[in-house]
Amino acid sequence: MSTETQAPAPEQPEPAETAEAKPGFVTTFGRYLTEANSVMVTIYSLVLAFLIGAILLIVSDEHVRSTYTYFFARPQDALTASWTLVRDSYLALFEGAILNFNTLAAFQAGDAEFGNVLRPLSETLTYATPLIFTGLAVGLAFRAGLFNIGAQGQLIFGMMGALIIGFSLDLPIWLHLPLAIIAGAAAGGLLGAVPGVLKATTGAHEVISSIMLNNIAALFLVWALGTTFLHSETKTDLVSKPVDDSAILPTLLSSLNPSLRVNLALLIGFAVAVLVWWLLSKSTFGFRIRAVGFNEHAASTAGMRIGSTYTTTMAAAGALAGLGGAALALGVSSGGINDGTAADYGFSGITVALLGRANPGGIVAAALLFGALKAGSLSAQPDVPVDISTLLQATIVLFIAAPALVKAILHLRTPRGGLVALEAKGW
Amino acid sequence: MAVDTVAAPALVDDRALSRHPKAGIVYIVLGGLLVLLALTKLGGLTTTVEIDKTLSDASWAAPTSTVVLILGLAAAALGAWMIVGLPQRRYKIAGAAAVAATVLALLFWAYSEEGTVFRAESILAGALFLSMPYIFGALSGVVCERSGVINIGIEGQFLMGAFTGVLVANITGSVYAGMLGAMIAGSLSTMLLALLATKYQVNQVVVGVILNLLALGFTSFMYDQLKKADGFNTAFSVPTITWGPLADIPVLGPVLFQQKIFVYVGLVMVAVVWFLLYRTRWGLRTRAVGEHPAAADSMGVNVNRLRYWNVVAAGLLAGFGGAWFTLGNSLAFNKNMTAGLGFVALAVMIVGRWNPLGVLAGALIFGFTTQIARDLSAAGSSVPGEFLQMLPYAVTLVVVAGLIGKAKAPAADGVPYNPGDK
Repeated sequence: MSTETQAPAPEQPEPAETAEAKPGFVTTFGRYLTEANSVMVTIYSLVLAFLIGAILLIVSDEHVRSTYTYFFARPQDALTASWTLVRDSYLALFEGAILNFNTLAAFQAGDAEFGNVLRPLSETLTYATPLIFTGLAVGLAFRAGLFNIGAQGQLIFGMMGALIIGFSLDLPIWLHLPLAIIAGAAAGGLLGAVPGVLKATTGAHEVISSIMLNNIAALFLVWALGTTFLHSETKTDLVSKPVDDSAILPTLLSSLNPSLRVNLALLIGFAVAVLVWWLLSKSTFGFRIRAVGFNEHAASTAGMRIGSTYTTTMAAAGALAGLGGAALALGVSSGGINDGTAADYGFSGITVALLGRANPGGIVAAALLFGALKAGSLSAQPDVPVDISTLLQATIVLFIAAPALVKAILHLRTPRGGLVALEAKGW
Repeated sequence: MAVDTVAAPALVDDRALSRHPKAGIVYIVLGGLLVLLALTKLGGLTTTVEIDKTLSDASWAAPTSTVVLILGLAAAALGAWMIVGLPQRRYKIAGAAAVAATVLALLFWAYSEEGTVFRAESILAGALFLSMPYIFGALSGVVCERSGVINIGIEGQFLMGAFTGVLVANITGSVYAGMLGAMIAGSLSTMLLALLATKYQVNQVVVGVILNLLALGFTSFMYDQLKKADGFNTAFSVPTITWGPLADIPVLGPVLFQQKIFVYVGLVMVAVVWFLLYRTRWGLRTRAVGEHPAAADSMGVNVNRLRYWNVVAAGLLAGFGGAWFTLGNSLAFNKNMTAGLGFVALAVMIVGRWNPLGVLAGALIFGFTTQIARDLSAAGSSVPGEFLQMLPYAVTLVVVAGLIGKAKAPAADGVPYNPGDK
């Protein structure tokens, strides 16, 4: 994704501070609100997505649907039922993700510990952790003009790499844990390099090859879990051996309450995001990535090797997703991974990267948002269908990817730099 | 934006390997490996081939090692011939023959295990049936991409078709109405792609991937919601059409004349799309719009309108392909039941070089691979089932890696056309 602007102007149009007549704050702010700049497009995308989610909730709910059969006789029934449903659903998501008001009241009354109040937030951060890594994995590749859909497979390989080192070696924690994490990154990077190499040598499109590798990796995991090497010695279902204590990522808040699962991987995620930011904006490698992503022909003319940039970028992206896998295998799933551990973290990484516009900071923010959606939807099911998080994610990024659509729906004005859209190359 | 479509210099060396004498070395190595295999591991094994299930004496047991030995020698000989001096224009045939010999030898090896029988009739009939989603998906891709719009969202259109097919069939009680519903659902989801690709000029690869996620989220969400009430997701089945006496012909009968409606629609659509693309005015315009939209525009073709309606029409095909997953297989809808086959269909489109006839050939190969994997897995092969299930994906990977450099996409594929941009 070369954050492509359609006119040679700054990416972030400045709110009219430089205008001649110095308009007042309200005018400036109002103008900013009605402009299709990237901040407002992001906000409006969120609003529109939650509106669409609300409509789907109403349409698909049997009880509410039945009240619409006599809408013209008693419209208040239908409207009340719709409002209640939407309010309750979104409130349930909020309570599962940020703050549960019942727990808060219980804490104030002295019936619950402070740790219980923090639990939804801890869950949000726990689910956000792998998303930070997979989001960075997709985002980094985007900067080179590569669309890495393979984060799912890379995460699975990372999980397996970290797991194998995690249970097979007998080392002190200061050596074991880093080694297991590195193994995860290496395994993910290895798988990630494959689409890069294929693209560089044969021109095979990375979208297809990485999707195929996703399927292959998922099947490989199922097979590997059944082998005596990986399979749990005590359990009969398809679960791996547990990771040794010396390779488990320490939890951050479990001293407050043992149910707070958020662990060190979150901080590693923040650190890696900073590292990726540094890599992209300050290092030669990052410059090469951005140059190739912006215009590969120009980069090639400038003497950069396109093929090797593809390979190294994809390997680095794979390593990032592999770290996400390590975060799972050594963190929340250190008791043993199964074929559902990877969930959809890799695919959600795509939406995270798109929402974060491939900027490390944006990716962390997007990962926190989608982590919250996931935590909320998991805690609100079965009253609210769990897939509402996928649906909302996809709708949000659909609008993000199509700023022109948001602009047209809401009749926004074109900002001075043109619309900022996301790009990936075709065949 | 449209400027950088003009013949970009090849950044990646894409000299076609199979047009090169070096390819001969590959075939010699393959053949040599087969010979080695035959001499060391296959002694005493037999492979049973059952040609007609009604005639019990029509099965044939062959000594595996001898057959593999002969096929391996043949592949190696073809490779040697290519190096020694076969004219270059015959390379394609020689290469295909060598690959076919290798595949056949591998099949003989795979079916040499105790208890496995190569049942030609059911395997070929199953392969044809299993190639259908690839045919519909890839044809949909062909129509889109020939007009210059990349459709990565085939997977999502499959899901929408599969879900809506069952839903409409349940509501109306008619499986044919379900198929129609599936087509409309597929078309509605490509309409979104068409709108974004033409009117809003959004990057098509990005949108395609998002549309897949959206379809996955939407169908899974609706599945959970509708599960609460009964009677929205009951499996419906499609009758098998038997063509009277034609169905009794050995091998050919069960394969071609005892199939479900999906197979016949698929085969007819291959011919129809081919005819439309290469023999009608619409086809000429579509190809022009996909290759050089500015030229087509100057000849009076409304580029974006043609692209829009082509993509919408392509959705009908993909949606019908989606109905195959549920109605065609007599299954209820399940979350993510298409399992990445929409992407395999994309690979089939590339293998078929954006040509309906090529798509047919590619789809048959993939259908055959899938069928063999299922058959071997059911017969209790010693190869783990997961590896057999990987086969279609692995073949896609190899084929895309091996072919894409040579297969040329329509020149303006994926490039939004803005008439004011010239």
